[in-house]
Amino acid sequence: MVPGILQIVSRSIKFYKKPVLYQILIIALLSAVITGSLLTGRSVRTSLKKSASERLGNAGIMLSSGVRYFDASLAERMKDSAKINCTGILEISGYSQSLASQNGAFNTHIYAVNPDFFTFQGNDSVNIKPGEVAVNNRLSNYLGVKTGDELIIRFNEISNIPADAPFAPAKGTVKSVVMRIGTILKPNNTGNFSLSISQIMPMNIFMNLSDLEDINGKEAKINRLLIENKNEFSSIDIYNKLKHVLKPSDIGLSLRVVNKTGECELISDRVFIDEVIIKEIQNVLPTSAPVITYLGNRFKAGNRSTPYSFVSALPSSIYPEIAQGDGIIINRWLADDLVVNEGDSIDMFWYSPDSLNKLIESSNKFIVKRIVDMKGIWSDSLLMPDFPGISGSESCSDWDAGVPIKMKDIRRKDEDYWNKFRGTPKAFINYEKGKELWGNNFGPATALRFPAAISKKEIEDKLIGSLDPDKTGFSVTDLLGASFKAANESVDFSTLFLSLGFFLILASVVLLSLAVTSYFDSKRSQINTLFALGFKNRWIKQLLVLESGLIALIGCLIGAFAGYLVNILITKALNSVWGGAVQTNTLEAFFNLIPMLTGFAVTFLITMVFMILRVKRYLKTLNRKEKKIHVSHSPSRNFIFLLISFFIAVALFVCSVFFKDQELSLCFGAGTVLLITLILFCRQFFIGRIVYHPDNRKTRKGLSRLYYSFYPSHAVTPILFIAAGIFAVFITGANRMNFNGEHLKRSGGTGGYLLWCENTIPVKEDMNSISGRKTLGLDNEQLMEMSFVQVKRSSGDDASCLNLNHVSAPPLLGIDPADFISKGSFSFSKSMPQKNVKNPWKYLNVTSESNTIYGIADQTVLQWGLKIKPGDTLILRAENGQPLNIIIAAGLKSSVFQGYVLIGMDNFMKYYPSVSGSSVLLVDGDPGLTGFYKSTLNERLENYDINIELTSARLASFYEVTNTYLSVFGVFGALGMITGIAGLGFVLLRNYNYRKKEFALMLATGFTVKRIRRIILSEQMLILFAGVTSGVISAVVSTLPSLMNSADIPWLFLGMMVSAIIITGLATLVISVRSVTNESLTASLKKE
Amino acid sequence: MLYIKNISKSFIQRGLVLNNLCLDVSEGESIAIMGPSGSGKTTLMNIIGLLDKPDNGEITFRGASIANFNDDESAVYRNRNIGFVFQDHLLLPHLTVSENILLPLLAAKYSSDELALKEQHVTELMEKTGISDLADKYPFRISGGEAQRVALVRALVNNPSILLADEPTGSLDAKNADILGELLLEMNREFDITLILATHSSDLAKKMTRILQLGEGKLIDLTHPPSRRGDEFRKCILE
Repeated sequence: MVPGILQIVSRSIKFYKKPVLYQILIIALLSAVITGSLLTGRSVRTSLKKSASERLGNAGIMLSSGVRYFDASLAERMKDSAKINCTGILEISGYSQSLASQNGAFNTHIYAVNPDFFTFQGNDSVNIKPGEVAVNNRLSNYLGVKTGDELIIRFNEISNIPADAPFAPAKGTVKSVVMRIGTILKPNNTGNFSLSISQIMPMNIFMNLSDLEDINGKEAKINRLLIENKNEFSSIDIYNKLKHVLKPSDIGLSLRVVNKTGECELISDRVFIDEVIIKEIQNVLPTSAPVITYLGNRFKAGNRSTPYSFVSALPSSIYPEIAQGDGIIINRWLADDLVVNEGDSIDMFWYSPDSLNKLIESSNKFIVKRIVDMKGIWSDSLLMPDFPGISGSESCSDWDAGVPIKMKDIRRKDEDYWNKFRGTPKAFINYEKGKELWGNNFGPATALRFPAAISKKEIEDKLIGSLDPDKTGFSVTDLLGASFKAANESVDFSTLFLSLGFFLILASVVLLSLAVTSYFDSKRSQINTLFALGFKNRWIKQLLVLESGLIALIGCLIGAFAGYLVNILITKALNSVWGGAVQTNTLEAFFNLIPMLTGFAVTFLITMVFMILRVKRYLKTLNRKEKKIHVSHSPSRNFIFLLISFFIAVALFVCSVFFKDQELSLCFGAGTVLLITLILFCRQFFIGRIVYHPDNRKTRKGLSRLYYSFYPSHAVTPILFIAAGIFAVFITGANRMNFNGEHLKRSGGTGGYLLWCENTIPVKEDMNSISGRKTLGLDNEQLMEMSFVQVKRSSGDDASCLNLNHVSAPPLLGIDPADFISKGSFSFSKSMPQKNVKNPWKYLNVTSESNTIYGIADQTVLQWGLKIKPGDTLILRAENGQPLNIIIAAGLKSSVFQGYVLIGMDNFMKYYPSVSGSSVLLVDGDPGLTGFYKSTLNERLENYDINIELTSARLASFYEVTNTYLSVFGVFGALGMITGIAGLGFVLLRNYNYRKKEFALMLATGFTVKRIRRIILSEQMLILFAGVTSGVISAVVSTLPSLMNSADIPWLFLGMMVSAIIITGLATLVISVRSVTNESLTASLKKE
Repeated sequence: MLYIKNISKSFIQRGLVLNNLCLDVSEGESIAIMGPSGSGKTTLMNIIGLLDKPDNGEITFRGASIANFNDDESAVYRNRNIGFVFQDHLLLPHLTVSENILLPLLAAKYSSDELALKEQHVTELMEKTGISDLADKYPFRISGGEAQRVALVRALVNNPSILLADEPTGSLDAKNADILGELLLEMNREFDITLILATHSSDLAKKMTRILQLGEGKLIDLTHPPSRRGDEFRKCILE
């Protein structure tokens, strides 16, 4: 039977088992790396999704009021009216500490839940007894606690009144309680429940909502409603259902009748009412009108003054008799006290509402338009808002108004007024003026009044189902959808590992090239025979491509399955030694057909393209074999290039000594050029022999060098490959991101600040003021140089490189950039392309009425976490539910702010007024006293549950991720080098085959095979060592600054890598040289 | 049948190898080309077999110019008209003897009936050359002499017009060389195949109808001096 092409191919593969096996193994390696990387990418994303599902349990959709609270009854109404399965919870963050071990955990997630929470989550067996808490595994391990142990739990008081709101009480904002651990929850028992998008396991405490009521001393409200969603609802459905059942009382608004006037008024348990809510209500009930009542520090007329009086600003639409402009109506009591008459002017003084902590006093001159008796509206004590620190007080001296009250100014008659009329305003101005003077971030009104003609019931009926949840601070989130989206758009580990494995892939391709060339070379005579037998070029090409294709197919198939093993190995490494990159140990290796097929197809395609090109080139070479020209290489030209590159290398190195600012880049340049110099030197060594030492033709060594002088690439290419590989891996290892003096400079990532502090309980005091320091016990003389940048923080999903998910709602930091501007702190990587931005910090202070402000973030956060760039707009939600457009003004170079988006303090307070005090502090001062500052702050701010770290340590923690990736690159690079070095065996065989006649002749003239092997081996060893030496020397020069300044160079790894390369190279050469046999040389001799 | 006129061939390293060489070959002739190593015998054989192309000159086969054939035309020409026997048998090591012999038929794309006839022909040739027993053996299991006979049968499988044998006995012992020499002549006679043989063996050359000496890039007909050849050829030689 005439053999078919497939038969010929299959027989050939069987016959050339060894070289075919080499090719299959190399292709399998290539396929395994590619498939493994793709599978790892898929596994990481699947793990993130799995972790998200585990975190959320049955919670599919979340209805959230952000930093505000709503009535727990809303959950019941949603259940009953909207027929949905839901449960309300209160999510807060706090601090927990083991009573026994005193170990503490910052940023503990505290969930106050109803008994139905665990049933909702499908864990009926979990039951938290009254007085007990359940903690998750991670927290119990972190604190070292077990069931039955006691925990101290601290958190900010759950209050509807924001701590920074005007006249909010200064005292009693922290709640601390000791509770027994009843249960330790495993992940499958909802232990890792979290509403944040992050793969990092949270530290959770679950307590009964009723227990929180006992601790808080009032009816507990909730801030999250979790809704089960089995794909029957969309977020819009939930939004519509919420709108249908939403009542004013859900958002803390209550309606009451004013007995003095018979009118109704709507007041808020937050005291001040948001402007959007006012507008929303006015849309429904247009006759309603806002009222604002404020506490004045004093009235003054001539030399007489009256302290601490409430003043109401009333709408003229309801109270037409109210004076306009700067006119004021005062009651008889005040007129008598100040001894003023109508037409007189009086001055009023008050603390400015948006800077109460700075106690900036403002004033206004009013003209007394009318003096009224205390009747009707003028005697309405309900006009005074229910300031918690004031309204319940027995006397003025009991007031806790959140601002200093000068007791010495309060007279007997003032106390009498309080006792008799409580907070009844003593003066009245028109609402427009009042809004202008006292309207603030928390709202422009303390009540909404309705004309007496509208009944309470009428108002209630009209408002139910009419309020837009968006405008009342509610947001509806598809939790599962958002988590899956974040996972789908997370850090692409497929691309990452393909990039990190670049060297391994490159090495495999080089090795494959050598193996294929070697294989084709061995088949040269057969191909010539086929030509002679009349086979067309096309057929021969088909034959070779088919054979290569079959080899590639087998290799890719084996590699695709091996890729799964690679995936398992990488995932295990990510969960352990490379954990710094993923911050979790819960990643799982998943088998998935799509990445496997993709990896297989991609590798097969790459291999086939490569093979087809090799076949084409090979056939072309065969066809023109007789025309091959031995080019005579010019040693003098090479020498000129050698000298030029040498001098450039020296010049760059010398410059690096003088220009310390550019030391890193100059040294890198010097090293790179030195690498070229050394390669040219090696080339000179080989091609120079023929010219300078003609006698070499007569010696054995001379013969070798003569060969390489004709074919310098046969020696220089492997040297270049080895040297470049070592160079790349070495500089990657040595250039790990380490901390150095640059980072501590003002322009560095620490901004020159010494400490980064985060406190669970916000600090309300101005820590740079004398009074603030005194309050906090920081007025020690040694601390005089210490200064603070106080930063407000809103919650959000960590956008730092520690979070693998794609984050769309990062946490915000409210910062006053004045300190950064004056000190020149931090550096920018990029700024808005549209504008000529000189100092991006200044943009943070730009305010706008259209909910559009500027922000700044680390370039890393922008690029990887948020996937946006300077000039783009990030849309978040302000506290009142309205969209907040943050235009990114600039991207910072790697800084301590990684993970956050920075906005101006004023804007922060405007859009997130309920976030009180500062939760982040940057501490500046004398670097020599850093330790002292740290210990003092730890001690004095202990009650704020402060966590202090060196700014350098914080920055280093972010570098850990980058350094882990560099380690992965190093390991893959080293593996690639070791793989590639095996190619030396093929190089040896190729050179041997080319020079077979020469060696056969040597055999004939008395050389033994052993000696010939030694000659070949020594030549190849020279190549190996020349490559290693060139690579190491140039890499050392390139990284000299890092080597001299850093103690964190992975010497062991680098040493092991170089040793492994040398050992593998030597082993490969020794094994390959065994192919040089007496028989093969004799056969060659016979032909001659 | 084959007419070569004024072909030249030079190589960069070796210089001018064939210099305005002329040769005419008649049907059924057996020609021995002799000459020292490096004189261009293999180059001439490769040019005749269109494995290589001359720098200039004409080659006519049965009246048709073939010097400017493209790769595909050259392949068809070789497959249908030329049978090669090299010094080294060049059998494909992964195919059996019979598969090696039948391999050229794969390039020819015969119909099944034609193939059956060809296979029958191969069987006869194998019997004639004494290699029938080797059909299922692999080349590395047979001797050098046997391998050369296999190569001969492979060269004849397509009933070529010309059998080009480039030092076919060069790597054989005297006995095997004699056997192969006889077989070549037998095939020449029996199948009326033109045999062109490059050899160093004068004994083998003497058995051919014509002996040509290749030297300095030209052929000298030792058997029939130019005076006895046709006008055109004489003119070519004289030029």
